[in-house]
Amino acid sequence: MTAILLQDIRLYLTLVESRVRSQAQYRGSFLLVTFVTFLGMATELVAVIFLLDTFGDIAGWGVGEIALLYGLAGIAFGLAEMVGAGFDMFPEMIRRGELDQLLLRPAGVFTQVMAADFQLRRFSRIGQALVALILALRWTSIAWTPEKMLYLPLAILSGAIMFLAVFVLGATLCFWTVESVEVINTLTNGGSEMTGYPMSIYHDLMQRFFTFVIPLLFVSYIPALYLLDRPERADWPGWIVLMPPVAAACLVGVSYILWGVGVRHYRSTGS
Amino acid sequence: MADPATIVVEGLQRTFSVRRREPGAGALRHLLSRSSRVVRAVDDISFEVPRGDIVGYVGPNGAGKSTTIKMLTGILVPSSGTVRVLDLVPWQQRRQLASHIGVVFGQRTQLWWDLPLIESLELLRHVYRIPPRRFVDNLTRFREILELDPFLDTPVRQLSLGQRMRGDLAAALLHDPEILYLDEPTIGLDVVAKARIREFLQLVNRERDVTVLLTTHDMSDIAHLCRRMMIIDHGRLIYDGSVSAIRERYGTARTLIVDLEHEPDEPICLARGREIRADGPRRWIQFRRDEATAAELIAELSSRYPVRDLTIEEPEIEGIVRQIYEDGLDSLAT
Repeated sequence: MTAILLQDIRLYLTLVESRVRSQAQYRGSFLLVTFVTFLGMATELVAVIFLLDTFGDIAGWGVGEIALLYGLAGIAFGLAEMVGAGFDMFPEMIRRGELDQLLLRPAGVFTQVMAADFQLRRFSRIGQALVALILALRWTSIAWTPEKMLYLPLAILSGAIMFLAVFVLGATLCFWTVESVEVINTLTNGGSEMTGYPMSIYHDLMQRFFTFVIPLLFVSYIPALYLLDRPERADWPGWIVLMPPVAAACLVGVSYILWGVGVRHYRSTGS
Repeated sequence: MADPATIVVEGLQRTFSVRRREPGAGALRHLLSRSSRVVRAVDDISFEVPRGDIVGYVGPNGAGKSTTIKMLTGILVPSSGTVRVLDLVPWQQRRQLASHIGVVFGQRTQLWWDLPLIESLELLRHVYRIPPRRFVDNLTRFREILELDPFLDTPVRQLSLGQRMRGDLAAALLHDPEILYLDEPTIGLDVVAKARIREFLQLVNRERDVTVLLTTHDMSDIAHLCRRMMIIDHGRLIYDGSVSAIRERYGTARTLIVDLEHEPDEPICLARGREIRADGPRRWIQFRRDEATAAELIAELSSRYPVRDLTIEEPEIEGIVRQIYEDGLDSLAT
């Protein structure tokens, strides 16, 4: 079991490496595309900053605080997209019947799908979110403690894993219906959009949905509350701060199991 | 039995339940609708393939060829029946079996679309964990016999169909598989490219003792490559035997083509042969192998007409098989 896991990880890295090499061949165009994507995404951030500059704040959150939410969610989403974008184009692969090819190889389907669409230019999303995070750290006055310094990367990593799990869940739906593409987009892109704002602006029901059904709340809102020592959720239990990694582990476990169910379904129905 | 069977199939069945899509119904309605019918794609098929054989697997579109191959490779789980390939159960030991088989789908590729051919082959070395020494030996050999060198550094999407097929064949054989499955390997290729692929398959079969199972529409593939053929129609195996036997048993109608000295006034009518086509002094006369010998026919003909030249045409496998699809085996056996 462990041996197979190691084989698959090594294979993932090899597949990604070859993609990177082929993309790096056109260095000029790669840099240009990355830069343009970066600009495109940066305008999104700039728009929010201008908005806040005009209207003051959103639900008591100022520019710095919003930038923190945005940065946390953006880096997490960017990392997830970087590692597992193959799941995002999985509907296409199924439609073209490429899954059969993957099943013919002595390697895990999960690994092969994950590695199917590695794009260097996605660094620009991470870069742009990183800029937001750095600005946020300058604009807010976080009372840093050793715990918080450890917490920040842990929260980002957990967020990335949660987004990756959502990608996998979305792709898993395709085993039953390829028409689920829109559902996936709502979950992934909508999720990344949503986590860029403080949760308190959303309706209570929606908050609960995203806490318990798809715990995206843990991606940025809860970590930001903790880092900023905001009092607005004082009635929540203290351990909720530690929920992001727990939720990430659960979500990734569930999505991996369901993915396996999906592959079995595909192989028993042949469609 | 000298050679143990590499593929053993018994009572293999695969049914699909096909959802009927009502015209105009939306995606959600389609998803929820329960009106479906059961289609038997593969219906109680049994056969064995001994090691080192080249077997042709033919049938009209939708007969169940690809479904069978999918079950033999472990992609698809059968509805019932047993399959053992190299003593493994394909759908339970898919990953293990995958290292020992090679598969080429004529319409799809195992290669990475945007990478140069050599990069794809390199990646497959990792996927199949081929020892470096063996990889180099095999690659060198395939580069030579498939003449891959001119397009080794070309991205796969820029290759011609024939080039891509040669690349795919190399890709499927790099890890020294014991069985090679080919699904329409010559589809869309010109005569020269087809001949080259066939030669290669014969060579690989001889040199490496690879068992080959190929599906094809092209009966000349079968005539050139296979000693044995299986015909599947509506999911059932309707013929399993040698290629020459099908000709002898079912291809009873032979044709004598004669060039006469001058054009006869009326259609030729012989005791055991009838004219089926006329073009000036050239006449096509059909007769049945079980009713008359060619010698008898020629004797009768030349006693009545001045004959300049003649040839005998054996039945084409293509025609026999087409007739089997259309009318069933019985029509030919009588």
